[in-house]
Amino acid sequence: MAMAMATAAAAISGSFGGDSCAVLAPSASVLPAPGRRTSAASSKAQLSSFPRGRLGNLMRTPKRLCIEHQSCSQSSTRTLAFSRSDFSPITQDVEGFLHNAVGMGFLDRLKLAWKIIFPAPSIKENSNANIAKQRLKMVLFSDRCEVSDEAKKKIVENIVESLSEFVEIESRDSVQVDISTDAGLGTVYSVTVPVRRVKPEYQESEEQYRGKIVGVDFKDTGETSGSVDVTFDFFVPNKNY
Amino acid sequence: MAFAPRLLLPPPPPARCPPPASARHGGRTAPELSGPTPRVVVVTSGKGGVGKTTTTANLAASLARLSLPAVAVDADAGLRNLDLLLGLENRVHLTAADVLAGDCRLDQALVRHRALHDLQLLCLSKPRSKLPLAFGSKTLTWVADALRRAANPPAFILIDCPAGVDAGFVTAIAPAEEAVLVTTPDITALRDADRVAGLLECDGIKDIKIIVNRVRPDLVKGEDMMSALDVQEMLGLPLLGVVPEDAEVIRSTNRGVPLVLNDPPTPAGLALEQATWRLVERDAMTAVMVEEQERPKKKVGFFSFFGG
Repeated sequence: MAMAMATAAAAISGSFGGDSCAVLAPSASVLPAPGRRTSAASSKAQLSSFPRGRLGNLMRTPKRLCIEHQSCSQSSTRTLAFSRSDFSPITQDVEGFLHNAVGMGFLDRLKLAWKIIFPAPSIKENSNANIAKQRLKMVLFSDRCEVSDEAKKKIVENIVESLSEFVEIESRDSVQVDISTDAGLGTVYSVTVPVRRVKPEYQESEEQYRGKIVGVDFKDTGETSGSVDVTFDFFVPNKNY
Repeated sequence: MAFAPRLLLPPPPPARCPPPASARHGGRTAPELSGPTPRVVVVTSGKGGVGKTTTTANLAASLARLSLPAVAVDADAGLRNLDLLLGLENRVHLTAADVLAGDCRLDQALVRHRALHDLQLLCLSKPRSKLPLAFGSKTLTWVADALRRAANPPAFILIDCPAGVDAGFVTAIAPAEEAVLVTTPDITALRDADRVAGLLECDGIKDIKIIVNRVRPDLVKGEDMMSALDVQEMLGLPLLGVVPEDAEVIRSTNRGVPLVLNDPPTPAGLALEQATWRLVERDAMTAVMVEEQERPKKKVGFFSFFGG
C-alpha cells in the first residue's frame, strides 16, 4: 500500500505513457479516503497513475515527502491529495526515518530502531499542557499588544512621513498595517508600503565606486611558493543606467 | 499533616481527630490582619463558572470563623447565587436596591448567618424586581462607605463580581482596593483572566492575586492540564491559593453549608482556608511542582503542592 502525499513539486497534469511515473502536485484539499474521485478543490492537484506494480522515484523534499501512487485501477487522471497535516508529527518523523533507512548501515539502523522503540523526550513537547501553554502565550501576546484604531492610524502616518523622505510612495491609501503573531518573534507589526521609486538623491549610484579595486583573485597566495600571483581590476561604472 | 486527604485514601479510622487549626498554621491561632479595615476585596474572574461565588462564600465563612467580621456582597444584580451557597436564600427580603430607594436601613438589608455570627450577606437586588437592573457604577462605592461609617465596621467586604466585563463588572470593582482573580488552569479561563487583570489595573486596582481553582493533580501529572506554576508564569501575578477539584464542593453547595466548615476538612476546604490566611496577611504562596517520585511515603507532598 502506498499513499500519495502532496508535495511542493510543480503541478503537472496530463497522462504519461509508458513507464509509470506519477507526479504529485501541491494541493490544499484533503480527502478522507484514498482512491475517492473528487473534483479538485484546487486545480493544482492532479495525479496520474498507471497500473504498474513498481515503486518509482522517491523524491524527498525537506518538508514534504512524496511517494508515487500505485493504483490497480484505471489509468485515468485522478485527483488525489493528502496533505502532510493529516498525519501526526510523530508519524511524519518516523516515515522520514524509514525512507532514509534504506541507505543506512547496520549500526545506524540499530540506532534508528532504538529511537523508534524508545521515543525521544521530544514527545513531551506535544503534551496537551505544553500545547495549551504555547497557544496561550500567543493569544496573550496578541491580546496584550492590540493597539487601538487611532494608534494604528498614527503609526501609518508617521511611517509614511518618515519613508517619504527617501522614497516616493505609490499612494497613501494603499498602505496596510497588520498585527500578527509569530512563533519565534511574538507579536509582529508589519506596515506594507507600496513604493514607486527611490528619490534621486538616495539612489544606489555606482559612481561612488569609481576607481576602487574590485575583482581580486589570488591565483597563488605565496604561502608555499614564496611568490604571489593576483589579478584585480579598477572599477569603472557602467554608463548606461 | 497528621491525616490524609479523603480523596486518595480509604476513610481514616473514626477515632482519629484532626489537629487543631493552630498546628496547620505553624502554631498560630489567628492570622495577623494587615492593612486598614475594612478591606474591600473583589472576587472576579471574567469567565463564568470558574468558582467565584464558591470562593467568595468560603473565604467569607473562613474569615468569620477566624472572628474577623466579614460582609459578603453579591454584586450580580440579575442572577443571585451567593445566598444559596451560604444557605441564606430564605432570609433575604431586603436588598441594597431597597436601601438606595430609601425603603429601609442598611442594617436591615444585611442578613446575618445563624452559625457564624461574624458573617453577613448583602444582595444587590431582587431578581424579579421592577427596578431597572442597571445600577450606577457608584452604587457599591456608596454601600462600602456606608459600611465603613457603621457602628461596627466589618474587617472585610468581599464582593462577588458577576461574570463578564460589562456594566455589572464595572459596578462591582468600583469600590475595591484589592482583587482576587479566580481562574481554572484551562486556556479559555486564563485568557479571560488576563484580560480582566488588565482591566483591573487600568481601574487602579494594583493588588491582584490569583486563586487557581479546580486543579486535578492526576491530569497535571499526566501533562494534560497546566499546573499552578504554569498559570502563575502566564499571568505574572502572585498566587493566593491552589484549590483542587473536590466533589465536596457540590455536596456543600447542595446542603447550603460552606465547604470550609466541614470537619474534618476536605482538600478544597483546606486550600481555601489557607488562602484566607494569606489574604488576611497579604501574603502570597509560591507554587511548587509536586514531586511524588521523590517522596513516596510522605503524604505531606500532596499538601505542599497546594501550598502549605
